[in-house]
Amino acid sequence: MKTIAIRILLVVAMVVTSLQANAQVKAFEKYADMKNVSYVYISKYMFSMAGKNAAPSVPNVNMKSLTNKLTGIQLINSDEKAARTKLKNDVSSIIARDKYTLLMQVKEDGDKVDIYYHVDKRNSAVVMLVEEDDEVNVIVFSGTFTLDDVMKMTK
Amino acid sequence: MDKLNWKELEQIPIPEGLEERLSAKIDEWERAEEQKKAKRLMFPKPMRYAAIAACIALVFGVGYYFLSQKDPVNLAEQDTYQDPVVAQREAEKALNLLAYNLNKGMGQLEKAKAISDRTETTLNKQLNILK
Repeated sequence: MKTIAIRILLVVAMVVTSLQANAQVKAFEKYADMKNVSYVYISKYMFSMAGKNAAPSVPNVNMKSLTNKLTGIQLINSDEKAARTKLKNDVSSIIARDKYTLLMQVKEDGDKVDIYYHVDKRNSAVVMLVEEDDEVNVIVFSGTFTLDDVMKMTK
Repeated sequence: MDKLNWKELEQIPIPEGLEERLSAKIDEWERAEEQKKAKRLMFPKPMRYAAIAACIALVFGVGYYFLSQKDPVNLAEQDTYQDPVVAQREAEKALNLLAYNLNKGMGQLEKAKAISDRTETTLNKQLNILK
């Protein structure tokens, strides 16, 4: 009886985990059809389509460690006041709900950049919130990377 | 009193075929009990729990299937760009921005470290003079 109960629990846990695996992407999916918000999704498939040697590169920065482990990038942008406020509030609630950790906060020349991360065995995500005077950008990097892979992007 | 009762009882004539009828009834009860036992063995407890779990899984599976059928095209999970080169360029921009901001933050950290090192050196110098 115990064994069966454990097996059932394991199956349920596996189903829940697989549903959560894509949670980072899904949390921001609602912006795909929201007014005054532009939404771009680039999948891993599109990276691979561009060819093996086409990994994005920035001089003196090791990008491969992260790009090889990415499963998708979401780019969300808005320059409309109400949408900007909603976007910022939503990001704050997603960050709190999914227990993201603040990696870095940079404030310079009126721009504010917050970088959060959430590392998991099955799915990790880095969320970058860029607040400018009249624009808000949210970039979500999803994949199976570690924090070390992200930090390798620093010189 | 008891002896008298027994004697009286012994004198009462036993109806014809009563023993056979009783025996047949007992046999019938036994058979019913055996059938019940057999039924219980056919579905032991763990099997019943497994069957319940399977039913729940089936209900959830069918429900999930039909719910997902309602929204066959999820725009958010579709690639925005059909051209891989454009997608690549946009991905590069995003990664570039991440790298730029990470390095900006780390640059400030380096500056802070340099100031801290200088302060420590000056402090040590002053402490040596005082000695």
